[in-house]
Amino acid sequence: MAYRVRLEMFEGPLDLLLYLIQVNEIDIYDIPIAKITEEYLGCLATMQELDLEVAGEFLVLAATLIQIKSRMLIPAGEPDGEEVPEEDPRRELVERLLEYRRFKEAALGFDELESRQQLHYARRGDPSLPVAEGPLQVTLSELLCAFAAIMRRTPQAAALEITPETITVSERMVMLIDRLTRGSPLPFTALFEGAGTRSLLISTFLALLELLRRGLVRARQSEPDGEITVYLAMEASHGGDGHPT
Amino acid sequence: MEAMDTLPDVKPLAILEALLFVAEEPVPLERIEAVLEERSKAEIAGLITEFQERCRQEDRGLLLIEVAGGYRLVTKPELALSVQKFRGAKPSKLSKAALETLAIIAYRQPITKPEIEAIRGVTIDGVLKTLVERELIRILGRKPEVGRPILYGTSRDFLEYFGFNDLSELPTLKEIETLAPNAMKGEASDESVNEAGTPG
Repeated sequence: MAYRVRLEMFEGPLDLLLYLIQVNEIDIYDIPIAKITEEYLGCLATMQELDLEVAGEFLVLAATLIQIKSRMLIPAGEPDGEEVPEEDPRRELVERLLEYRRFKEAALGFDELESRQQLHYARRGDPSLPVAEGPLQVTLSELLCAFAAIMRRTPQAAALEITPETITVSERMVMLIDRLTRGSPLPFTALFEGAGTRSLLISTFLALLELLRRGLVRARQSEPDGEITVYLAMEASHGGDGHPT
Repeated sequence: MEAMDTLPDVKPLAILEALLFVAEEPVPLERIEAVLEERSKAEIAGLITEFQERCRQEDRGLLLIEVAGGYRLVTKPELALSVQKFRGAKPSKLSKAALETLAIIAYRQPITKPEIEAIRGVTIDGVLKTLVERELIRILGRKPEVGRPILYGTSRDFLEYFGFNDLSELPTLKEIETLAPNAMKGEASDESVNEAGTPG
């Protein structure tokens, strides 16, 4: 092999196989399976020499190649020489390769469009403007991120401390509703004030998720990555429902 | 302040410009029509064309493009470097894995994770999460089969991100599909591949 390949350059086993087909100037409709299997396994071996873990998906394709190779070795047709047209053992693989290549090329097209589009800058959400347009609804992952930040700030309680108090999620739900009734909206972080232990934080967060699920409260962000605000649902309804979905 | 729009000397073109300026996402034509309600559709179409004409002048920095089913004011491409300098950061590009996954979703939606994985030959949990977080794809529902797997599709942000007005503007896969069997020959050096490799 005149070249070295690094598996991480490839988006997966099919990508590697397509590369080997290209670099050897092989007709994809007539792949010399023995040769390509050897090359493919060679690439994996190089990886192992470098002590890098070969992802399982690369091994799966290796097994497929070996299987095809062995099927190609079985003589086709009747023993007395009459050739019976049989399905090419390579067919399924070729179809997968073609399908994958189609999308790989489409991805190249997208890459170009992305570059072209990134030359155009559009206005971003401007935090100095009032949020009358309707703030963004918050996604679960954003809520989780915000919660993770709060958890990081609260050290794990020392192992010796035994806290016999039990906190139920429903208690925390009542507490949250109470707080929001006194003043809504509240910033996300304010909901966790006074919750000193991690278990208290977690039950509060679960209570918030439950309230969101039931539609009793809403969480919104006025701008991407901005602070999350939590509203009582009836308060939020006049906030901005002219928001197209 | 409501009386402002009805003042006789407020030019409709100025109103259009104001709307486009404050909008943080593509503005559908209907929303422009709702504000300029006393104007006919033809008049509004004329206003948009006139606005676009004016943008073409060399001393203007903005363009009015049609994207994701609406109108959007964007900076001219030749100003990209200046804007980048001002913002202090280059826009981040999607990874190859993300682009491939996105291409499959775009052309085959609604599609499930295992179906995408079968085409790419790799697992895609991480990529899928990134694409959902960036709101380029969205959950369309669940497939009525064992396990009720989630069906994914592209979002409006996807259209805007790549500059499509709607999904019908996706380049057809057929063009790629009908490539002659030997079309790949002679392209032996794939640009994504570095033949040098790692030392040792």
